[in-house]
Amino acid sequence: MSFFLQLVVNGVVVGGIYALVALGFVLIYKSSRVINFAQGEFLMMGAYVSLALIVGAGVPALPAFVLSLGFAVVLALLVERLVLRPLIGEPVISVIMVTLGLASVLRAGIQLCYGTDTRPFPELFSARPFLVGGIPVARGYLWGFCLSGVLLALFFLFFKLTTTGVAMRATALDQVAALSMGVSVKRMFALAWAIAAVVSAIGGIILGSIRGGIDMGLGGIGFKVIPVAILGGLDSVPGAIVGGLLIGVLENLSGGYLDPLVGGGVKEVAPFVVLVMILMVRPYGLFGTVEELERV
Amino acid sequence: MRCGGFRTTYVADDQIFETVYPKIGIAVLGLALAVLPGLLTSYWLDVVNRIGIAIVGAVGLNILTGFAGQISIGHAAFLAVGGYATANLAGREGWPFWLVLPVAGLVTALVGMVFGVPSLRLKGLYLAMATLAAHFIVEFTVQHWDGLTGGVAGMSVPPPRLGALSLDTDARLFYVIFAVVVGGVAFATNLFRTRVGRAFVAIRDRDVSAEVLGVNIFRHKLLAFGVSSFYAGLAGGLLAYQAKIITPENFPIGVAIDYLAMIIIGGLGSVLGSVFGAVFMTLLPEVLRLGFTALSGLSPKLIGAFASIREGVFGLLIILFLIFEPDGLAARWRTVKDYFRVWPFAY
Amino acid sequence: MQRVLARSLVVVAVLGLSAVSAAAQIKIGGLFDLTGVTSEVGKAFAQAVIDHVGLLNEQGGINGQRIELSAVDYGYKIPQAVATYKKFKDDDKVILINGWGTGDTEALKEFVSKDQIPYISASYSGHLTDPTKTPYNFFVGASYSDQIRIFLQYAKESWKDASRKPRVAFIYSDNPYGKAPIGAGRQYVKELGLELVDEEVVPPSFQDSTSQLLNLQKANPDFAYVNTTTSWVALILRDAQKLGLKTKFGINPYGCGELLPKVAKEAAEGTLCMMPNVAYGENVPGMKAILDLHKAKAPQVNTDNLYVRGWVYVTVWSEAVKRAGGELTGPGVKKALESLRNFDTGGLTPPISYTAEDHRPTTRCAIYEVKAGKMARVGEYEVPRKKEWLGL
Repeated sequence: MSFFLQLVVNGVVVGGIYALVALGFVLIYKSSRVINFAQGEFLMMGAYVSLALIVGAGVPALPAFVLSLGFAVVLALLVERLVLRPLIGEPVISVIMVTLGLASVLRAGIQLCYGTDTRPFPELFSARPFLVGGIPVARGYLWGFCLSGVLLALFFLFFKLTTTGVAMRATALDQVAALSMGVSVKRMFALAWAIAAVVSAIGGIILGSIRGGIDMGLGGIGFKVIPVAILGGLDSVPGAIVGGLLIGVLENLSGGYLDPLVGGGVKEVAPFVVLVMILMVRPYGLFGTVEELERV
Repeated sequence: MRCGGFRTTYVADDQIFETVYPKIGIAVLGLALAVLPGLLTSYWLDVVNRIGIAIVGAVGLNILTGFAGQISIGHAAFLAVGGYATANLAGREGWPFWLVLPVAGLVTALVGMVFGVPSLRLKGLYLAMATLAAHFIVEFTVQHWDGLTGGVAGMSVPPPRLGALSLDTDARLFYVIFAVVVGGVAFATNLFRTRVGRAFVAIRDRDVSAEVLGVNIFRHKLLAFGVSSFYAGLAGGLLAYQAKIITPENFPIGVAIDYLAMIIIGGLGSVLGSVFGAVFMTLLPEVLRLGFTALSGLSPKLIGAFASIREGVFGLLIILFLIFEPDGLAARWRTVKDYFRVWPFAY
Repeated sequence: MQRVLARSLVVVAVLGLSAVSAAAQIKIGGLFDLTGVTSEVGKAFAQAVIDHVGLLNEQGGINGQRIELSAVDYGYKIPQAVATYKKFKDDDKVILINGWGTGDTEALKEFVSKDQIPYISASYSGHLTDPTKTPYNFFVGASYSDQIRIFLQYAKESWKDASRKPRVAFIYSDNPYGKAPIGAGRQYVKELGLELVDEEVVPPSFQDSTSQLLNLQKANPDFAYVNTTTSWVALILRDAQKLGLKTKFGINPYGCGELLPKVAKEAAEGTLCMMPNVAYGENVPGMKAILDLHKAKAPQVNTDNLYVRGWVYVTVWSEAVKRAGGELTGPGVKKALESLRNFDTGGLTPPISYTAEDHRPTTRCAIYEVKAGKMARVGEYEVPRKKEWLGL
């Protein structure tokens, strides 16, 4: 029983990071209908830029993180303006490919500046585990989990109560109608991308400090986030959180119970099997809006 | 003097080449290809062989994504199926290559049709996600079904034999590869003159109307996946013969993205575009490398950055093509051709 | 930024057309991983090879002839390795290849046997030691299989509890490199009378290994051997620390080194590292040349035992090329390599011997322990050179 519980707790906690990254993913989709395959690379940007500031420029930790978040915002605005805006109205496959191309460019940029070796990352949280009911949990992941919860609440309030939030929802629902009502659709897109980049960068910083070192492998989370977003619902913020936790738990359970049977690898493929099942049965996920899904 | 398109019979409308010049061009190209192996060094022959394999794969993907409108990010998985089928049939069973390649293609077509079933319920983005998942599932299977695929260590493939002649050099393999290329391209071009091809295009453009017109969407979507996967199987098989040893590392997700880039840069929905795209994407790293070696005299620092710059240029090109030339190289080629065809008139 | 690396990389002709060479040139091919998944350990190795070749050329080359090193970064991509091999063979006509990873070495082993080009790889896979199967493959240091045997032997000897047998486990990555020594390890566990309680497989790249380690915790091993590269070892160690595992970890030479304590920080304390070559800066005669070179040129960024490893590889194959004399061909260099008997590399590794029947250079390997973030030498250990272990 304890084994099962440990797996579940660890899964929930690891899922917090997935939720964080999926949040960015969902925000971008929610406002501009773009699937951002470069989310993993935004995460890497956050980690690498902070590292460069802390180690290279000797900036103390907290200001360095704030600066790297600022950098993420600038990057996102540039990307939205230069790369995504010309492609409004183009077919889906073009948009998918453009974010894939963007991912390559970002990865190449990071590689050029920082190389591909593993760089030690400063420890933000003590390595001593935090005990949740006797079960050890890495502090970094716990922070990530709490942060997702806080962000969930913040975004919920944002979308429900503030003018900008409502404007974003309007843009997501119907761009033309929103435009005719005076919403600056361009600004909504830019805002969405900026928030998504910030959230991913935070995720990157947390992951970097948990692992102790960062390298090009960090970006791999970009693909993993897709099952999370689809499970939760591509345009649902609470869905991203729930999806992240569920996928985290699923991974750990299948890893703990099935990996020994098959000799490894099940942990990585399980989210994708679930993805296929979800797509066949309920493509709009758990909390996504049941829309005219254009199904056959 | 010809001006614009003016046809008076159905036969004329169906013709692939309207004037005699393209036919002469093709003949010259054929001759050039026939003597090419004698002129190139082993390294460039290897590059040309890889171009041939890429053409076969790209044409297959274009049939599915460009002509039938079904987005698929799972092409690398189908290449893997073709490659491992070939490794098993040629390596373990010892079948001759002219039997192995078609059978590998058929096996892959069957697998492709299985993975095409989600396309019956999903479109666009969601289908892309499903094919992405299919890729990872196939990758997992390949890595862990040791009995069939040799697991992570991979399998070696003996060279193809033609009677007593062993086609183990790049030069000899070139003829096999380009025989398949010529056959594949001819078949694909003709496919879109037939009812099946037109049905594919109809499904892409407006599937509801296609269904109203009597096109059986179920059958044709599966057929699109099947034909596309057959091509992928052939490409994978040729790759197995060319590389002589295949491992799961030969088929990462990057390969699927490369093929998508090929058909987008070349031009969706155009067989000629697939050829252009395949040539472009395979030659790009080579050209970059030559450029780097030439520039290395200026600044030694540049050399160490080669791999990252190559990836960056690749991504940048995709973005630039999508923004500025969304219809691809084939469209540009057509524009240029038309310009010369009606010169000195404007249209 | 690795500006020093870039300076050294002047010699690196990245897959370009190689210059037409004069007959009196020694052509060597170098396959390195500077940008791929093992680049964290590959860069220092590559730089050492390039630096040492440069030093030899400065000193007049081998038998008066310059060494022309065609160094290529293949990013640990097997298809690229195969393509580069074709270029080495046909365009550059190399007489020896200084290779890198297990995946590509095992992929190319039949090619090099057929084409008769000696392949000295950074991979210590035991599958490369039997000349009847792989006559042209060599490496410098105890094989991965011997290393795991030495670890198991150390585990048995340091086990003080007479009431039960020590429990061991293996953790390895899901690729040829990770799996290389496991077969030998399983067999030797039985021979030594230890208890193999668990085997865990980790993917070549992952974020979190808690589920695997929870399974490990259930088996509660006293010793565990980890066969993957540094970044992943660091993750495993940190997760092990989180779970409070009391296991003593032994790490393979590409998962341990000066970098590990920096990345894994506290979690690396007390782990044992198998080191086929000495740590950087150790007081042996061969280290002088390295330290002098670094003092003379700009301050070196790579003060890592991987650098020493690359250096000593050139020491060994340049000696073979020297002994080959006028017979500068693949088979000639192979014969020269097989003439090495207890060749002294200046103390950087145990003495190296190859014979035509046995390509195991040595069955001795040093063990280091991570103490206060630094590598401390525990001792050098040896396993017998058994005939039935050849090629395993």
